[in-house]
Amino acid sequence: MKRIEFRRSPSNPYYPGVVFDADSGVCEISGESYMEEAYKFYYPLINWLKEFTEKENGKIILNIKLIYFNTSTTKCLLDMFEILKKYKNNGNEVEINWFYDKEDPDMIDEVKDFEKEAEIDIEVKEF
Amino acid sequence: MVDPNKKMEFFNKNTRNLIFYEGPFYIDLLTIFGNYLKFYTHDYPLAQKKLFKIYVELTQNVSNYSEEYILSKNENRRIGMGEMKLTDHQSQYYITTKNIVKLRDANILSQRCEIINSSSKEHLKELKRELRKSSPGEKFGARIGIVSAKLISNNNIDYNIIENDREYSIFKITAKINKNETY
Repeated sequence: MKRIEFRRSPSNPYYPGVVFDADSGVCEISGESYMEEAYKFYYPLINWLKEFTEKENGKIILNIKLIYFNTSTTKCLLDMFEILKKYKNNGNEVEINWFYDKEDPDMIDEVKDFEKEAEIDIEVKEF
Repeated sequence: MVDPNKKMEFFNKNTRNLIFYEGPFYIDLLTIFGNYLKFYTHDYPLAQKKLFKIYVELTQNVSNYSEEYILSKNENRRIGMGEMKLTDHQSQYYITTKNIVKLRDANILSQRCEIINSSSKEHLKELKRELRKSSPGEKFGARIGIVSAKLISNNNIDYNIIENDREYSIFKITAKINKNETY
């Protein structure tokens, strides 16, 4: 599968940095995510996850290191969690880690909300 | 010639306007203002983070839903127009947005703000989850941004409908963020 890599840029900081790597099974989203039309950005990532979970059977790790994300982004993240939940329910290994800045304790509440809504375990870790 | 007494009065004022903008809410422009916002508020790290989150929600509401808009030439998408103001008060920051709404939407927005202000934190979290689930695409309506503003700030939001004409009104909303917010 093709590796996806998108580097953050100071000229459009509303796009996060992304690395999705099928060889290692490690996927990472970092930075800020408050673009308009979030689906246009996240659609390839959601499709990548769909393809991985259909074709592969190895462990997948999703590391989220988002400092800020807007409402549109939350919907895309929930779609990703839904795919990973199905993969896990089919007996595969899934790990979701959410890294947060200790100066932003509100983020823990957000992650707990995601866990409740997506019905999947998310490990909360400090940066 | 500046009257020295007036000058002192200016510097002793408890309220300062940090940012004011009126026009189309382009994302690149909002990013620049967002950087200024972070710069001006860095003495209060938790308030800074809360303020930025609310700023993005409220300004994107204007960008997405204002009835006054322009069409971007490149992407052929609408960019809402309105006003944004960041004010520094003694113990709080105020972030205010104003935009044109249809008269019938103004009343609905008003009722929703009333409900949001009178709801508990748990109820608002539940409402946010419901709104996310019930939205088929990525358009959630302005309500989820207002719910977020109340949840993040821990303060009631101020809102006001200013009648413009028979068809349209101006919707003004202010979120207040405590500078010495502790978790």
